[in-house]
Amino acid sequence: MVKDDDHREIATGCSEVRSGSDDRKRLMKRPTILVADDDAVFVASVGSILRSRYEVRTVASGSEALASVEEDPPDLVILDVMMDHMSEGFDVARSLRLSDVTSLIPIIILTGVDRVYNLRMEVDESWVPADHYMEKPVEPAELLRVVGGLVGPGAPEGS
Amino acid sequence: MSGAGERSGSFSFIFAWELHERLLWFSNLRWLAVAGLAVVSLLGPMVGMVATRPSLMVVAGLVATYNLVFVYALRYRYGPEEDYGNLRTVAILQMVTDLAALLVTVHFTGGCASPVLPFVVFHMAIGTIMIETRIMYFLAFSTCFAAAGLFACEHLGVLERYPSVTGAQSSLASCGLSTAMLVGLVFGIVYLTDSVTSRFKTRNIELHQTTTELRRSLDEREELERRKSHYMRISAHQLRSPLGTIKTSIQVLLDGYLDPGSDEGLRLLGGTARRVDSLLDIVNDLLELAKMREGRVKAPWARNVSINQILADIFDAADPSAREADVELVPHFIHEGAAILDWAVPPDLVYAFENVIHNAIKYSKPEGGTVTVALGIDRTHAMVVVADEGIGIPADLQDDVFLEFVRAPNAKHAEAEGTGLGLSIVREAAQMHGGKVSLESAEGLGTTVTVVLPLHYVPPEIIDGRSR
Repeated sequence: MVKDDDHREIATGCSEVRSGSDDRKRLMKRPTILVADDDAVFVASVGSILRSRYEVRTVASGSEALASVEEDPPDLVILDVMMDHMSEGFDVARSLRLSDVTSLIPIIILTGVDRVYNLRMEVDESWVPADHYMEKPVEPAELLRVVGGLVGPGAPEGS
Repeated sequence: MSGAGERSGSFSFIFAWELHERLLWFSNLRWLAVAGLAVVSLLGPMVGMVATRPSLMVVAGLVATYNLVFVYALRYRYGPEEDYGNLRTVAILQMVTDLAALLVTVHFTGGCASPVLPFVVFHMAIGTIMIETRIMYFLAFSTCFAAAGLFACEHLGVLERYPSVTGAQSSLASCGLSTAMLVGLVFGIVYLTDSVTSRFKTRNIELHQTTTELRRSLDEREELERRKSHYMRISAHQLRSPLGTIKTSIQVLLDGYLDPGSDEGLRLLGGTARRVDSLLDIVNDLLELAKMREGRVKAPWARNVSINQILADIFDAADPSAREADVELVPHFIHEGAAILDWAVPPDLVYAFENVIHNAIKYSKPEGGTVTVALGIDRTHAMVVVADEGIGIPADLQDDVFLEFVRAPNAKHAEAEGTGLGLSIVREAAQMHGGKVSLESAEGLGTTVTVVLPLHYVPPEIIDGRSR
């Protein structure tokens, strides 16, 4: 963490975008979304939905997600739960929340496991709340609505 | 009585909690004795027992006092959970104090002519029901000895002789006779009670054992049920996951986020088709497992099945995929003798060995390597060893990979396809042929799977069919 200050600057910049202090800038910008999921086909689907309004980066594991966030903090992180480990998505969410640099980045947990499992995770004392939970399969319109609520509507490509 | 077995730490012929129950019952009866003593004390002089007032009132008071102590002890100090030995001590103490009180009463109501003398017999019967017979014989002996001593002292004038009913005082002869009768009755009643109850005591032990066994098998059943429903839940999850992906892909194409005709759209369609394939693989493997686990009476058991032949066929079929993966297949079994199983279900064995050999090829390193299949035979067993030089299995997962849907992370990275059911099927097939499967692996170096099958195993289905 040599460039701690740089990161904070970027992160602060992102939160400014989110807080909507400059609506025009917010409307014009295509926010960056990081999608972490080990299912390449699902990532391709989600990617093509989101690319209609946002910049999308994809990774296939929790550690890659953390590295990618550190390298260039995105405006939103979408995490699968079960990747290499049972609760990998939750672990990543916790690391992001506990770090000063990344604690303000909104997180969506997008999981194939059912509500019972989610509820069980919620009573876990190490639980860190995400901004939103969604279950697979995901409705494209619903995903765009949720993402729009967190980082703004984005903009079509090339605008 | 749920948990009766656990309720007693130790156990002779009755449970501690049973003894506790009887001791409490006996203590409740004792209040009747207190009342009886009081009545005799008051009415005794009217029928000639002039010494009963106030002596027996004092005895009644003493009995009431120690009974209170016993009831208190049984209710608050020695519960039903108490150690059997401690409760037995309480029982013996009760017997001894009762017999002492009874002998004092006998003394004041006319010694060997006393009308309360036969009550000794009640105590002996009750005691024999509660505690071990050998202890009761000892108590019977002590009681007779004490009673004889009491009568002797009365006759020798050491103790005063009080009149019995109608003021009678017995002669030496009649006193000797009643002493002899007392001895006979006391020992007789211990013997009789023991003979009558010994069968119940044996039953009690048998019942205890049966109950314990039943409870254990019930626990096993519950555990099995629990595992089954867990398995169903896991299976449903495993099916749901590719379905979620498939549904999302279709929706993306339907809603026009991707043009199905574009390169990207075609790639997504291809990926989706592969997900459908893996879904089918999972369903097929689940069906295969279910089939093996049903313990089918109609399983296609065949005689004299050659493992050499099965392995050779699989080798032929696996050759192209091995070549594609730069893997050299080394058959080490050709020159070994023939491994012939008396009984086997060939399709299941094929499925299992296919799984092992395909795994070895599939999880070889990208640069290839060798997969060696060795066959060893002795008089009773055949052993198939499949060794690869592949990615290996992390040490902490080597036991778990036999469980359904467990796949090591490095396996998932190396090969997206895989149902996580292969090794479960291998283990199931081995077990159904009376054999077992084991695994040795070092991550990054390779995995060795060993299947041992007995040559002369006769499946239960066949034995049942024969005996019928």
